[in-house]
Amino acid sequence: MVAAGVTPRRRRRAPLNAVALAVFWGVIGVSAFLLLAKSVQNSGEFARLQWWIVVLNACGALALTVLVAHKIWRLVHDYRRHVPGSRLTARTVAIFGALVIAPLLIVYFSSLEFLNHGIDSWFTVEVKQGLNDAVVLARAALDLRMREYSHRTQALARELATVPPAAVQARLDAERRAGEALEIALFGAQVHIVAASLENPLEALPAQPPQDLVRQVAQHLPYVSLEPQAGGRYLIRTGAPLDESAASHDMRFVAAVYPVPAQLAALSEAVQGTYSQYGNLAAMRGPLKLSFSLTLTLVLLLAMLAAIYGAIFSAQRLVRPVQDLIEGTRAVGKGDFATRLRLPSRDEMGYLVHSFNDMTKRLRRARAEAQHSQEVVERERARLAIILARLSTGVLAIDRHMTVRMANQAAGAILGTELAPATGRPLPELAAGNERLGQFVGALAVRFAAGREEWREQLDLDSSAGRRTLMCACTPLPGEGRDVGFVIVFDDITTLLAAQRDAAWGEVARRLAHEIKNPLTPIQLSAERLRRRLRSGMSEQDAEILERGTRTIVQQVETMQQMVNAFSEYARAPEMQITRFSLNQLVTEVADLYRSQAPRTRIRLDLDARLEGIEADRGRVRQILNNLVTNAQEALEGIAQPALEIATRLDSTEEGEYASVTVCDNGPGFQRELLGRVFDPYVTSKPKGTGLGLAIVKKIVEEHGGRIDADNRPEGGARVRVVLPVMDSTRSAGGGARERRDQMRRERA
Amino acid sequence: MLRGDPAREGLIGRSLLPTLCALALVAGSARARAEALDGVLAVRSAYVNIDHGVFLLHARVEYPEGPAIRKALRDGITLAFDLDVRIERERRLWFNANIVEVTLHRELSYHAVSDRYVVRDVRSGDQDNFATLDEALGSIGRVDGWPILVEPQLDGGNYTISVRADVRRGQLPASLRALMFWTDDWARQSEWYTWSLPV
Repeated sequence: MVAAGVTPRRRRRAPLNAVALAVFWGVIGVSAFLLLAKSVQNSGEFARLQWWIVVLNACGALALTVLVAHKIWRLVHDYRRHVPGSRLTARTVAIFGALVIAPLLIVYFSSLEFLNHGIDSWFTVEVKQGLNDAVVLARAALDLRMREYSHRTQALARELATVPPAAVQARLDAERRAGEALEIALFGAQVHIVAASLENPLEALPAQPPQDLVRQVAQHLPYVSLEPQAGGRYLIRTGAPLDESAASHDMRFVAAVYPVPAQLAALSEAVQGTYSQYGNLAAMRGPLKLSFSLTLTLVLLLAMLAAIYGAIFSAQRLVRPVQDLIEGTRAVGKGDFATRLRLPSRDEMGYLVHSFNDMTKRLRRARAEAQHSQEVVERERARLAIILARLSTGVLAIDRHMTVRMANQAAGAILGTELAPATGRPLPELAAGNERLGQFVGALAVRFAAGREEWREQLDLDSSAGRRTLMCACTPLPGEGRDVGFVIVFDDITTLLAAQRDAAWGEVARRLAHEIKNPLTPIQLSAERLRRRLRSGMSEQDAEILERGTRTIVQQVETMQQMVNAFSEYARAPEMQITRFSLNQLVTEVADLYRSQAPRTRIRLDLDARLEGIEADRGRVRQILNNLVTNAQEALEGIAQPALEIATRLDSTEEGEYASVTVCDNGPGFQRELLGRVFDPYVTSKPKGTGLGLAIVKKIVEEHGGRIDADNRPEGGARVRVVLPVMDSTRSAGGGARERRDQMRRERA
Repeated sequence: MLRGDPAREGLIGRSLLPTLCALALVAGSARARAEALDGVLAVRSAYVNIDHGVFLLHARVEYPEGPAIRKALRDGITLAFDLDVRIERERRLWFNANIVEVTLHRELSYHAVSDRYVVRDVRSGDQDNFATLDEALGSIGRVDGWPILVEPQLDGGNYTISVRADVRRGQLPASLRALMFWTDDWARQSEWYTWSLPV
């Protein structure tokens, strides 16, 4: 497996390229070597093969140049693009190159200097001068012979000029033997042989005299020359004219050929051979130096190119595992733990790569385990979130600085703001504009400031929407430093408390109705009887006192009866007569009734035409309306322009349709401190009244499966809103009116 | 160009090595050669005659002559004078067939002891000596009756005969000749002198 980010094709091609290059260089090297070996064995072959040697070496040099140029270009390209490993490669190549090229240059220049000086030393002036002197010496020795033979020839010519023709042959033979000549001949006009004496009797005729001899004797001058022969022999050829007065074409002359003694000839030939050999070599001095220089330069270039190529190749081989490691590290940095590097060798680099692969393997395993754990945690978190979301209890987690860490839906609902999306924000910031949350935050702050981290208390939160009572428990969460936090669990027990109060008041009412109502009638009857029996026998003044006393007793008893009746009404739970009727019509009837009773109060109706009818106990709904309107009218006493508004609405929800009746007035509104308890018995701010009106209304509404709330309007005045299910089946979904009433009875019991 | 000639292939070799930084030196050596062998080098005339079935070549070659050659010879250098003869049978659709390829090798040197110019036939060892360089070069330039072919070597068709004269440095050891591959200022050859063989 290869490193991430490395092209596999490039990696596969690399060994192929190396093999191809090795084969190429092997073929060139072996071919050149074989050709060179063959040419060295036979110098004649060199002339035929040297072209191929040159071509092969040129091909090699050209290929090497191209390869090195390509490698260097690639290296520079990678260096500029900051390819991983390129700088290390460049440095390694520079160091290797310097280490190899510097000695090469030293050897090159040293060799060049040595060659130039060495070759020059071969051809010193002294040697040349010595050779010249030897030549002069040889010439002097030979000149002596030449002069001797020339004199003999001239003497012979003078003698022959006087010798009769018959004695010429004898004279020539005698002279030849005396002078040890090879041949002596007498030439006549037109260079015709007149007589000749030859050493070799097999040769019939003497050699034709050379033209320069003929020309010279024709000018009446003696001739002598030294003629080198094959085999290192020398001949001295002489000529002399006989008739100095004759015309040139009729000139007679003697020509003789004398051998040079063998010893002198050998010495002279040795001098000549050395002279010639030295001359040949000396003439090659310049070309030799040039050829050596060029050969050395070529070898240097090839060696430098090979060294650079080898340096690049070696550096790349060295750096390749490092490049793999860099690319592998980058891949790991990007999260790719599947990266595995190829083991380059079993050396330290191989150990490093092995460690890297082992590290990625461990990382991959650790990430899988972490991912699995995270999935488990996420599942648990989701499960917990579902549980918390379904809890009616508010759960709020905050840190020491009251920054929200977690809050469930119920917490937001209880505190009147959305807390789930507010994670990470401080609670005081969220409390701005939220009175209830502000009080909650204030209560927490007071306890935290007091160093109380674990507590359980009941908190009363007052707001314009009414008082809410929370049962709140705080527990510190484990953590260190800034991670220390708290979890606050709270329940809205307002309804529970109200139910408890309702149950208590129901019991009180029932007991009052039972324990107090019964004695009232005998008390009233007894007081009237006393008045009737005793009045006739009393004085006017006593009768007056009796009359006032009994009347007071009767009035108070009636008052107590009304109170007891009210309690009885509150406590009793008659059978509900569910019928379908028009709520708008009922509201209109009640409004008309009260318009006639209180003409000062302006009653305005705002009825929803869509609200055609509801299924409920018409009489008890009328009692709700009566109580609400009565309560409003009582609140409007003393108001300059009393106004009352009754509005009906039809609301549709997922659970069903609901009819709402809202009664508003422009009175003083509910007192703030009573706002959360206006539906409790005996909670009233009015001087008269039983304080049971709104309690009864709430009781009837709850018997119908509805709800009621009260608050103050922003523009002033109180507002009470009653919501009743339109269909009885809707309220039956929660157990039905009867079942709910029975349940309420059981709760009260 | 197809035969192994050190001088000729030296020129080719130089043209194939453009990467050498010593081209200037090579160019300098070329200038030296031009000065050394400056002058006319050409086959002026050539013909063959048949004598008893033997083709005899007669040629006249003009060789360059100048002070540089004279000085070089007097300094001891030996010059080789080759006369290359090539006889080919013409073929229509292919290269000509090479029938005969012979070379007449002669050397010219200056004999310092005798103050004579010596012309030597390398193959036979015969030598002549001359008092002047002109006579020696004239002797080398005259080739008469050199047997180059016998009739049985011909089997019909058209034949061409080509003659070329070479001048180069002679009497070089093989090892030194290899070194002279790079630069030889004593190497020159004439153009081919070609004509049809009268069969």
